[in-house]
Amino acid sequence: MSDFQELVKSFSKTREYVRDFFVYGFKTRNEFKSKSPRTYDNERRRLESWLAPYVQKDYVAKGFNLSLAIDSNLLDTNPLFQVWKTKSFTDNDIVLHFLILDLLLAGRTMTAEEITDSLLTQYETLFDIQMVRRKCNFYAKEGILDKKKLGKTVFFSLDNTLALWIKSNENVLDALAFYQMAGCLGIIGNMLSEQLDCHNKIFRVKHSFFVHTLEEEILLELLDAMNHKKSVTLIIKSSKRGLTNTAICIPLQIFISTRSGRRFLCAYLEKNSRFTCFRLDTIQKVTALETSQIYEELQEKLERNRRHLWGVSFESPERHHQDRLTMKLQVQEPEEHYIVDRLYHEGRGGTVTRLEKNIYQYEISVFDCNEMIPWIRTFIGRILSLECTAKSVEQRFYQDLQTMYQVYQISGHNYDH
Amino acid sequence: MELFSEIYSCYYQVLRHLLCCQTPLTIQDIRQEICREGFEESLISIIPKLEEGTWDLFKKEEGIYRSKLSADFSMPLSHLEKSYLKALLSDPRIRLFLDQQQIDSLNDMLASAVPLWKQQQFYYYDRFTDSDPYDDADYRRNFRTLLLALKQKRYVDIDYNSPRGTRVHHHYVPARLEYSVKNDKFRLLALKQSGHGKMKLETLNLSRMERVKPIDKILTLSVDLNAMIQNSYYAKPLRLHIINKRNALERAMLHFANYEKNTTKIDENTYECLIYYNQNMETELLIEVMSFGPMLKVLGNDKFLQSLRARLQRQIEITGCQQN
Repeated sequence: MSDFQELVKSFSKTREYVRDFFVYGFKTRNEFKSKSPRTYDNERRRLESWLAPYVQKDYVAKGFNLSLAIDSNLLDTNPLFQVWKTKSFTDNDIVLHFLILDLLLAGRTMTAEEITDSLLTQYETLFDIQMVRRKCNFYAKEGILDKKKLGKTVFFSLDNTLALWIKSNENVLDALAFYQMAGCLGIIGNMLSEQLDCHNKIFRVKHSFFVHTLEEEILLELLDAMNHKKSVTLIIKSSKRGLTNTAICIPLQIFISTRSGRRFLCAYLEKNSRFTCFRLDTIQKVTALETSQIYEELQEKLERNRRHLWGVSFESPERHHQDRLTMKLQVQEPEEHYIVDRLYHEGRGGTVTRLEKNIYQYEISVFDCNEMIPWIRTFIGRILSLECTAKSVEQRFYQDLQTMYQVYQISGHNYDH
Repeated sequence: MELFSEIYSCYYQVLRHLLCCQTPLTIQDIRQEICREGFEESLISIIPKLEEGTWDLFKKEEGIYRSKLSADFSMPLSHLEKSYLKALLSDPRIRLFLDQQQIDSLNDMLASAVPLWKQQQFYYYDRFTDSDPYDDADYRRNFRTLLLALKQKRYVDIDYNSPRGTRVHHHYVPARLEYSVKNDKFRLLALKQSGHGKMKLETLNLSRMERVKPIDKILTLSVDLNAMIQNSYYAKPLRLHIINKRNALERAMLHFANYEKNTTKIDENTYECLIYYNQNMETELLIEVMSFGPMLKVLGNDKFLQSLRARLQRQIEITGCQQN
């Protein structure tokens, strides 16, 4: 392993390894058949290095299992943010980074030639002018340097007012501590906080799904396309079968599940004239295409359709336009009124009716009632009846319930075979 | 605007801290800083670069390293960071932290930045609808008082509407503000004197706080919050088998990702998962496990298994063994 490098050039290559490591613990060499043993060893060593404080080794008969011990109740940061800080660079990159910024911090405005000369006179380092110009142009593109053209001469300067203002403003630093843990693209908040030498010691996040930070680059590209109302080509890799396919669509909104942390792109497929959702963790690549002429129209249409969405599926299991689900619940009043509150707070616009003392009815029409089953199951113990115009949904619910009775050896007075 | 860029990398951070050091450094000081801030194996990459002078950023004299940079070195914000900040300014929770004047100042400084996203581009489809009242002036005042007290380790007098409908007030030291994405609510993890000089941990909903008043007392005792949380976990974890059908393994692993857990493979299609939890998490965990239906099989602990069986028993008694 003499060629081992701790840093990597490309994020996409690492993304899959980190996700699998997070979800399943580390797979064995045999399970990574598509990669060479050396690649496997290097990837594994890198991950162990980046995430060392969180790596757990459990010794078993045939060696040890590696996994990540991540309990969000105990953490003030997302350990997987580390993965974003592993980009490799050249020796010239790092030296030029510090010297150019240090040179311009004094408030000077300089050309690439003047910067090159000053690097030699002030820091005794000799650089090729083209290299310095390239670095300055890259930093201007990233917003770190300001670039101005006077006649044919290009000047570079640096404005640090905002960074200094934030550093002296505790309230903004507190906000950054919060949003890096609780908001979208928290990795940017985390990078900014680190840059300002500030670390979160205030906030914890209860329902935090750290692994989804791995999708932030894809999310950024989708947001950029959405901001410019552009259609995109997506390369998607199915998580079940590993097959890769391509979709051309108009990206409209990001759907987020707070229960699983999963994020989806809701988009319009012009070819099929319908809305659909793609899981962000299955999207491998985004390429922006032309601006859509019907973007606002589609947004309005989605807004109207969203009222009939339970989750992310626009299709009924039995090809109906919509299905109606009715559930009657036993609720002991007044002590179990929190169940009625749950129906209102979690029921996504469904109608709640008190039929008689201790009996409530919940009713809703949605595109795909299949998606409701996990939520319906959380009321087990109180469900007097469940009816759905998609009979397969009813059947699945009751069949699963039967299986659970058998698994847990439950029998009742009315139990009849 | 690159997110995966060396300018935000761990090595650049380590180097910045070394270079901003006012005092001359020995190679041992440098090693210590790298071990503290870098990755596990960063030392073997960084040290040779500095010793050989390939990263010519220090003046080296007789084994002493002096930074070539000024001590107040800092990096300006990138477009990406400015656009991120600009997007945050439209979030309703930002007013918990910033007053109007600060928002205006920041908006002025970010005049040329384009927000990375707009609020309406995200849709949290399963978020509960009874979120905390972020616009309420009393709520904001309580939030800020708690935030300040937390940083100062100051005791606060909290006047609280308990879930039972009674009004109580006690003295607490705020330990962490816990945000739930699902509930869109804040809770306070707070320390309370439990007698004999010991502290115990309690959780309070911010929206139930009527009034929060700082008092003239600072906590001098050192408290290990994580040890307190871990000590609150039941000795016997939830033990369940995941039957890997309908992609249940991946779904379960992601769903329970926020718990401390340990998973092992039992056979080709079955995995055993141990989940550590405490009394506060019990009902929510039970509901989450039930939502998976027969894809998860609970084996223990006894208390959890009994709670699950009681729900199923109650269900069968309501409807009988109904088969559709």
